[in-house]
Amino acid sequence: MNNSEFAVRLTDVKKRYLLGKVEVDAIKGITLQIPIKKFNVIIGPSGSGKTTLLNLLGCIDIPSSGCVEVCGQDIARMTDEQASDFRAENIGFIFQNFNLIPVLSAYENVEYPLLLMKKPAKERRELTLKMLNDVGLSSHKHHRPNELSGGQRQRVAIARALVKGPKLVLADEPTANLDSKTGQSIIDLMFEMQAERHTTFIFSSHDHQIMKHAEKVFEIQDGLLMEEKER
Amino acid sequence: MKTLHIAFRNIFRNSRRSLMTILAIAVSSIAIHLFGGYVANIIYGMQSNYVRDNGHLQVYQEGFFDYGAGNPVAYGISRYQDLIHLITNDPQLKEHVVIATPILKFFGIAGNFKKDTSKTFFGIGYIPSDLKKMREWNDYAMQIRKSRLNRIVLADDDIDAGIIGEGMARMLLLCEELNVKNCKEKPQEKIEDKSAAKEDFSFLEETKGVNDPSEGIDKRPRLDLLAATAGGAPNIVTMYVNNTEIQGVKAIDDNYAAMNISLAQRLLYGKGEKKATGIVIQLRHTKDIPFAKVRLKQIFDEHKLDLEIKDYTLIVPMYRQVISFLFALFSFISTIMVIIVLFTIINTMTMSVMERVDEIGTIRALGLRRGGILRQFIAEGLVLGALGATLGTIASVMIATGINSSGIMWTPPNYVDPVPLKIMIFLNPFLSPGCWLGMVMLAVVSSIVPARKAGKMVIVDALRHV
Ligand SMILES: Nc1ncnc2c1ncn2[C@@H]1O[C@H](COP(=O)(O)OP(=O)(O)O)[C@@H](O)[C@H]1O
Ligand SMILES: [Mg+2]
Repeated sequence: MNNSEFAVRLTDVKKRYLLGKVEVDAIKGITLQIPIKKFNVIIGPSGSGKTTLLNLLGCIDIPSSGCVEVCGQDIARMTDEQASDFRAENIGFIFQNFNLIPVLSAYENVEYPLLLMKKPAKERRELTLKMLNDVGLSSHKHHRPNELSGGQRQRVAIARALVKGPKLVLADEPTANLDSKTGQSIIDLMFEMQAERHTTFIFSSHDHQIMKHAEKVFEIQDGLLMEEKER
Repeated sequence: MKTLHIAFRNIFRNSRRSLMTILAIAVSSIAIHLFGGYVANIIYGMQSNYVRDNGHLQVYQEGFFDYGAGNPVAYGISRYQDLIHLITNDPQLKEHVVIATPILKFFGIAGNFKKDTSKTFFGIGYIPSDLKKMREWNDYAMQIRKSRLNRIVLADDDIDAGIIGEGMARMLLLCEELNVKNCKEKPQEKIEDKSAAKEDFSFLEETKGVNDPSEGIDKRPRLDLLAATAGGAPNIVTMYVNNTEIQGVKAIDDNYAAMNISLAQRLLYGKGEKKATGIVIQLRHTKDIPFAKVRLKQIFDEHKLDLEIKDYTLIVPMYRQVISFLFALFSFISTIMVIIVLFTIINTMTMSVMERVDEIGTIRALGLRRGGILRQFIAEGLVLGALGATLGTIASVMIATGINSSGIMWTPPNYVDPVPLKIMIFLNPFLSPGCWLGMVMLAVVSSIVPARKAGKMVIVDALRHV
């Protein structure tokens, strides 16, 4: 397969953290390729290294050894500013704790990435309103995060991640803090969005239930890749 | 733009803490404003009073300032009218000069022979109408006390008239005639020896006739003034005391005798050339002093005149002392306020950063650069500073207005009688804008350290921090 058909390529990636004086190997040597335009799931129990892996893919961390290429770029070679700009342009994050900016309304939270990209006001407005509509929150656009339910917050977060049309969307256990019904609706929404836009999604979870939507599944355990399944 | 907007909202997030910070800034600003306004009022008041009586600049014969005060004859300026003409008609100076007028300072002995007393005095001769004009100077639009406004000046045509200090009147036993208050009966002197000036020395008078109106016509108390003339011979003239005027410093009050310059000239120069010991120059604005000095120097050099120029701060040593004292006090208070504000803002901003670690991680992950984080927190400091400084300025104006209309009285340095306490915040045009700007800049500077801390955070650690 051609390089460009992979959103991400990992070559013998290791990540070691220093916890006080103890060294923790969060990722112990993973080699994998994640294809573009698919709904990919990384599955593994708590502490297996999912978040660490997604952080590397999201260019907010660098490997201790090995090579991480995201959209063809070696992330270890980017300066902090380059990495910031790269993220602003190419990567959408969806967090377990929603991580909305509390002082901004739903509308403003969704608009924020467009501000970072210095998009003109008119375009920002159009994209933001459309995105809010797509996640079904048009009527809540002036609400602050603390005036929204967990599910609504995560919808805002999804809108925020997708509004700029990123190459890669990373969702780290986005349903872990939601009840199962709401969680399911969030998963459905993401799947719908991915199907519409053909964005590369990388979704992490410790819940095997999730896998029914997945086109590709990577199972990790203890910082090692155990299994890779195509569906 | 958005950065400021977000900063504003973040400030209202922990409104209690922000309010305390804003209040700390405001209180500091109030302290600086009120004390600054108080100091400004003293300094500008002193300056105004001084400039009204003595002008901004005084021109002397070289050496007079240091050595000549006792020798008006040796240090007299000849043809001073020509010099004044030169100054007031100079195309460059003309617009800056309100007035240039001669003065004559000298020492002499004054005798009240009706009461058999005499004492030395410090005499000053001037042109009454010029002094009257000088006293209208009020460049800072200061409220002039009634007692000062209603001061009696001599009249140009009343050539034998004079004004003496209250202390001088007391010593010359003129309390009754001149209505001097607080005049106790003079204690009996132990040694009955007044031979020093027992006799009327009017026999010395050169200008008999002119200066000798028959008694009865003039009811004013009469003093005989004695001084050495140009030739070295003693001369004497008669001065009629119009009234007394208390002088700020007792040593001056006890020796002060002001008079029409023509009387002083008659005493000192007799029939010879009438000179002046100095030219008093009053400018339109105090800030014109440096320019006026340079230009005067040029004029003097051009005409080969050996004259020196002294500005009012040099002539009254007290003026400089008071200013440097007040300035030191002001700096001290300001420094304390600055330190308080500095620590308050550093503390507030540090807490603000610590509370928002995950938020910092999030927006960094979304792609905001380190500099953006830095800007965000500095913007918060800026907004806090601007709110505090603005509140402080408004509150200061209100408090100052309250104090100014409360009628609290006090006696400033170098004053004899109490005056209403005034806090003039805008008298010094730099005080309020400077304080505002200073507070805002201080807020920005104190935010830099916490903001840098926020900018340097490791994103993944920040995101894990919950
Ligand atoms: N910043 C860190 N410092 C120290 N240890 C860490 C750090 N991040 C993760 N770890 C450790 O790495 C391992 C993998 O963590 P993580 O990637 O969060 O797993 P998961 O997301 O699958 O639960 C865990 O043992 C965790 O304690
Ligand atoms: Mg995790």
